[in-house]
Amino acid sequence: MSTQTRTAYGSIVLRVFRGETGDGREERFEVPAVEGMVVLDAIHYIQANYANDLACRWNCKAAKCGSCSAEINGRPRLMCKTRVDEFGKDEIHVWPMRAFPLIKDLVTDVSWNYKVNKEIPGFTPPANEPIPYRMLPEDTERVYEYRKCIECFLCQDVCHVLRNHDDKSMYYGPRYMVRIAALEMHPLDTQRRTGLLHGKAGVEMCNITKCCQEVCPEHIKITDNAIIPLKERTATEVYDPIGWMLRKVRPRQEPAGVTGGETTELGGVRLPQRFAVKDVVRLKSGDRPFARVGGVRPDGKLEVWILKMRGTQQHWKGPRVIGTSDVTNNYGPLDDVGIGSKLFEQTLVDHAE
Amino acid sequence: MDLLSEDYQSLTTDVLVIGAGGAGLRAAIEAAAAGARVDIVCKSLLGKAHTVMAEGGIAAALGNVDAEDNWQVHFQDTVRGGQLINNSRMAELHARESPDRVYELETYGAIFDRTPDGRIMQRAFGAHTYRRLCHVGDRTGLEMIRSLQDRVVQLGIEVHMEVTLTRLLKDGDRVVGAFGYNRIDGRFVAFRCKAIIMATGGWGRIFKVTSNSWEGTGDGVGMGFDAGAEVLDPEMVQFHPTGMVWPPGVRGILVTEAVRGEGGYLKSRDGKRFMLEYDPKKKELSSRDVVARSIYKEVEAGRGTEHGGVFLDVTHLGAEKIKKKLPSMHEQFLRLADVDITKEAMEVAPTIHYAMGGLRVEAETGATTLLGLYAAGEVAAGLHGANRLGGNSLSDLLVFGRRAGAAAGSYQREVGLGRIDESQIAEEQAILLRPLGGDGNENPYLLQQQLQQAMQDGAGLARDEKRLKACLNSILELRQRVTRIRVPGSRRYNPGWHTARDLRFMLTVSECIVRAAIERRESRGAHWRLDYLEKDEALGRVNFVAYNDGGNVKLQQRPVPEMPPELARLFQEAAATTSATAQPPARPPAPKRVPA
Repeated sequence: MSTQTRTAYGSIVLRVFRGETGDGREERFEVPAVEGMVVLDAIHYIQANYANDLACRWNCKAAKCGSCSAEINGRPRLMCKTRVDEFGKDEIHVWPMRAFPLIKDLVTDVSWNYKVNKEIPGFTPPANEPIPYRMLPEDTERVYEYRKCIECFLCQDVCHVLRNHDDKSMYYGPRYMVRIAALEMHPLDTQRRTGLLHGKAGVEMCNITKCCQEVCPEHIKITDNAIIPLKERTATEVYDPIGWMLRKVRPRQEPAGVTGGETTELGGVRLPQRFAVKDVVRLKSGDRPFARVGGVRPDGKLEVWILKMRGTQQHWKGPRVIGTSDVTNNYGPLDDVGIGSKLFEQTLVDHAE
Repeated sequence: MDLLSEDYQSLTTDVLVIGAGGAGLRAAIEAAAAGARVDIVCKSLLGKAHTVMAEGGIAAALGNVDAEDNWQVHFQDTVRGGQLINNSRMAELHARESPDRVYELETYGAIFDRTPDGRIMQRAFGAHTYRRLCHVGDRTGLEMIRSLQDRVVQLGIEVHMEVTLTRLLKDGDRVVGAFGYNRIDGRFVAFRCKAIIMATGGWGRIFKVTSNSWEGTGDGVGMGFDAGAEVLDPEMVQFHPTGMVWPPGVRGILVTEAVRGEGGYLKSRDGKRFMLEYDPKKKELSSRDVVARSIYKEVEAGRGTEHGGVFLDVTHLGAEKIKKKLPSMHEQFLRLADVDITKEAMEVAPTIHYAMGGLRVEAETGATTLLGLYAAGEVAAGLHGANRLGGNSLSDLLVFGRRAGAAAGSYQREVGLGRIDESQIAEEQAILLRPLGGDGNENPYLLQQQLQQAMQDGAGLARDEKRLKACLNSILELRQRVTRIRVPGSRRYNPGWHTARDLRFMLTVSECIVRAAIERRESRGAHWRLDYLEKDEALGRVNFVAYNDGGNVKLQQRPVPEMPPELARLFQEAAATTSATAQPPARPPAPKRVPA
């Protein structure tokens, strides 16, 4: 940076978090301001001139790689995209992302994200699909929004569910809802992730505060265009492979899954829903709770146990007898859905009503 | 030297891939397909490699938009762009295979922009005869790396993130492992393996104004050079004509060639489209070396902007097209420069972008001159000659990443693990640890800045003997000073400590560049000598090769590999039918034959 521009803009004060696991504090640095300077420039200046060992991640410096995530004055942002002049004369506080374990200074351990990613079944095209693929623009265009994601994990950082549950076992987080949405809406994907989504991935945990989409540097409408459509995937996906395939290849005009329909319709024909013991279902009533099927009665009615969470403990209350029309979704067998696997780690308590 | 070494983590695999950009990931996929156990090591987190920055697209003669396109034309464009010092066999393989590599990427889940009938859309780019670049808006690199990354995850290939390797371990003449450190806790790590694929990218960081990320420090060439591999065409460093200029903090950040591909105009301060003069046929879409020099000349002649650039204007395209086709450029300028490109022109100037030179490899296999060491992508040389065409780097990564992966995958079946001599490890540990102790007083960042300034001034866009020699002196002086670096703090995630080791690689690469640039007394492609403005026919028949001679950089001339007659014929045929093609190549040169 040239001295000429340096003097013209005075200096700025940064308070940068420094420390390793367990202990840490802000350290004050004064940096000569330069026109158009971003927070990452200031951090680089500090590294070069005051603290060679100040740890931070960065790569492209052009908001394309999503490495330099931090909390700037409390808000999760990319350092390379945050201009220092927007803070006027105020001091700038730079902290690491606090939803993840600290490694040092501004660097946190984000490996959990990569672990979660491995659990999501990848793109699975039909085995006999001719190559090169033909995909019409109207079928591909809506996938682009999800694929803009640069994996900065700012949405993960701001997500209440992840921030408030240290073990992060309840929810994959917004980034992976976006990833699942991208896969599910790929015109040639044949894999089904509905079970995972409502099970281990925990899409239900999101309470739609939309914080994630507010911090997204790529302006992905995470909640509106990924999480809500995924939340509302209906039994259609689970029980009607033909309709599901048709929609994959020729998506409907409205956002995926927002049908609100409780029965499966294909070409105007109503198809009966089927239920088996241990299926996980979702009920229409009130707060739309989850339940598992305890038995199917000869008259077609179901005995269900309703899921109640108390902290991390799952309690199943029941049995209660309901009609099949009281069910909105059937996600399939408990173990496939993934809730089953969680039960081994947590206490399963049945409460007779 | 003390041969007692500190404890280190020891890992064993079949094929070790160093670098997780496009080439590294593609190589890993192929080596795994060949049945090898593959481990990938990368300096950053997975998915952050420099490939992610690629914006414009991937060149492949699919002929979806211009049906006349085919691999022969792509081949000729590449070799002509490279000023005939390319490895023609590599250029042939690249042009022939890139369409399949693009289609294959879609089987990994990528989705390119589409034509109305559902095929892959292609756009125009500099010095490509036809519309050839497959793209996804202006974030093609992101799409590519994410698709490859997903595939690697799907295949269960292990990725060691935030690990830096700094030395190749040899058993006699064979490369049998690599040694380095974990960036997070600073612990040392050694890999024993049967083959290594170097995919470490380029070395833009040795210059001050660059579009490259911090990772581009030339580790691959540095490690290869130290171990005895040959470095080809180091003097050929590409300036991308359009980097951001203002404000100072963003200087050098890339403005994609797609801006011109979609119809942007370059204008001088008085609003004149100066490329109409410098290259009336291809205009703004001339090859990168020509456009970069034209901008330089305009600025030198006093017709530039106040910040030393020229204008790049897309306002005539209309806001809607700009936002659809160039969304990240729109965002980038709005956010970082307060410029709305739908209403105002951008200010641009050349920025260091790409290294055409690198480790010398065999065309078919990516095998370097060291047994067991393969290289692919930017770290390998030969395909691009004296100047790379836009879009040819992404296809390079896939074509030669796959080839190196396949070759390493079959080589590892033939050999066992080698024996690693602990003294190599002890020696490297001593080098790594030196900046943390001792009584040195040099600051690694300030030395790096001095190197960057020296290279920018002495080995930049416009070169001459005097400045190159001054630059060489600076490099030699810095070589002394790096031994006296002192870094505060511990080994836990300490970027100052990391920079100290990176600097050694950067200096090696810089010295190779400058020494070759001094010897190439002509102007060719990206190498522009103000004291030798013309091409020299004799030098057009040779490549320069730098090699390690007892720790010193030595140079050799090697004849350019001879172009097989069937490829040479393509140029003659093109010359004969010039009048028939829609956009004839400007100057079809006769192929240069090399004495056997």
